[in-house]
Amino acid sequence: MNEGKLAPFARRRLVDPARAAEFAATARRLQREREAASLITDQLLRTPRSRWPELAERTEMHTCGVLEHLGNFVAHALGRDPKQALAVAELAVSIAEAVPTDAYPRPVVPQLCAHAWKDFGKALLYLGRFAEALTALDRAEAAIAECESLAHDRAIVRVVRAATLQEVDRPDESFAVLAECRTIFRDHGDQKRLLLCGIAEGVLLHRLRKYREAREAYLLLLAASPVDTEAEACLHNVIGHCSVDLGDYEAGALHLSRAIEMFHQLSQPLQAAKAELGRGRMFVRTGKLARGIAHLRAIRSEFLRHGMTEEGGLCGLEIAEALLLRGDAPEAESLARQIILEFTAASLNTRAITALGYLSQAIGERTASPATVTGVREYILSLRTSPEREFFLAALREAG
Amino acid sequence: MSPLTREDAADLDFEAIYGQYFDLLAQIAVFKFQVPDSEAETLVHDVLIGYLRKSEEILDLRAWLIGAICHASRHYWRLNGRTVGTDAEIERERADPASLRILDSLPDQLAAREALECLGPRYREILHMRYFEGCSVAEVAARLGVKTKYAQKLITKCLRRAEREYRRKGRSR
Repeated sequence: MNEGKLAPFARRRLVDPARAAEFAATARRLQREREAASLITDQLLRTPRSRWPELAERTEMHTCGVLEHLGNFVAHALGRDPKQALAVAELAVSIAEAVPTDAYPRPVVPQLCAHAWKDFGKALLYLGRFAEALTALDRAEAAIAECESLAHDRAIVRVVRAATLQEVDRPDESFAVLAECRTIFRDHGDQKRLLLCGIAEGVLLHRLRKYREAREAYLLLLAASPVDTEAEACLHNVIGHCSVDLGDYEAGALHLSRAIEMFHQLSQPLQAAKAELGRGRMFVRTGKLARGIAHLRAIRSEFLRHGMTEEGGLCGLEIAEALLLRGDAPEAESLARQIILEFTAASLNTRAITALGYLSQAIGERTASPATVTGVREYILSLRTSPEREFFLAALREAG
Repeated sequence: MSPLTREDAADLDFEAIYGQYFDLLAQIAVFKFQVPDSEAETLVHDVLIGYLRKSEEILDLRAWLIGAICHASRHYWRLNGRTVGTDAEIERERADPASLRILDSLPDQLAAREALECLGPRYREILHMRYFEGCSVAEVAARLGVKTKYAQKLITKCLRRAEREYRRKGRSR
């Protein structure tokens, strides 16, 4: 064997001391910035929004630490106040774009820009501004297109794209993007995001009413992923709901019971109540209307007791559906009106209130069927991810 | 090498992290993906810098870095003009944790030579083509007159045999 050729294979590479020092210096710098950033971002969030553009121009804002804090803020605000999340995400984009490209070693600055644009896109998605969200996500991907080493970041951006594609009725593209992201997360050993990708696929299948495929996707996750107790409980819950939608009530009862038991063990009574909702729906579907209505009423009370008006209203619509099946339109109408009052008092999305108004009127005129109630319930549910989505009366009438 | 946890990483000196993973990641880029030497070192540096923004959330640093360098190497070739292979080829090129451990366990020239000496002539020839002559899997396949997929299997088998024989020899000393 040619010994001269052995050297390149086995030679242990010497670390370039300058590069190692740059790495360590960057690591410590980021740590310092993270520590300092909480004060800066607190100050920023106390400042009136009209003055944010001035603040964004200040060089002490142009750090990775500040951008990370703003990113965390956006993530938490999305579920609570997407408009505020959007404003903060927009600010983060301005800051990220103002960071000089040589402020950090490559590829930190493109990475910062990509995440800022991704957060902006996500906030737009939550507000139902899908076309703008896709444009923002294009910017996020473009920022790191030339960075070979940021495949994980690219996948994080593309998961948001997959969610947006679902909303614009492009499910095939969404599936393709999710499959691609799953490979990347698996290769990086990122079990958490791998599980989220799987759940996103299940949700998409469920939305497409492919209940069997959705259930299989969830069952595979349950069998294959090293999930924690909370994730396991969530998976049992969604598998139970899919089973109920499939009419497989035996499996539905089994998985929902397991989910309820686990949620109680985890001291999460409201999650357990959501699983109980599946059981209530099961009673109604199997014709046990009185039992189903009583079961659902107890759950609705539990939601309302905890100030969960929207969940209480959605549960109320399940009851209204059962009442219509029983032929008790006056009671269903009265319940629909009660839900309108609750939604109005809680200042919930006016589009939901409008849809409920049409429903109560339709029940009053005896033109509403259980399918009409389902249509309104699904519309209200869709407002969670698309708060600006229009309510189409024609579609409701068609459903009825 | 056991996976480095987030807590461990926090305690370690950053220079030590760099030193610990630099060689392994560069070997993967060079030998598994045929990225030119100097480019591979830049890729590794970028991967390690890119990790810093995520240091709080990565639970298994070694797995994350290996995934990152494999994808970075593929992306390098996408950007630098090599025809991207079929899905099947990409699948074959995906990091095989077993073979990465083997590379990691052959730290110096002596070890490599000794490992090869433990093998029969055919196994030795295959590994020589792949790792010393720098042949791609397809080139190894062409020279052996077998299909590419089978060549990949043979290479993995040879690496495993080399590791097994080398360990056995080590124990008998």
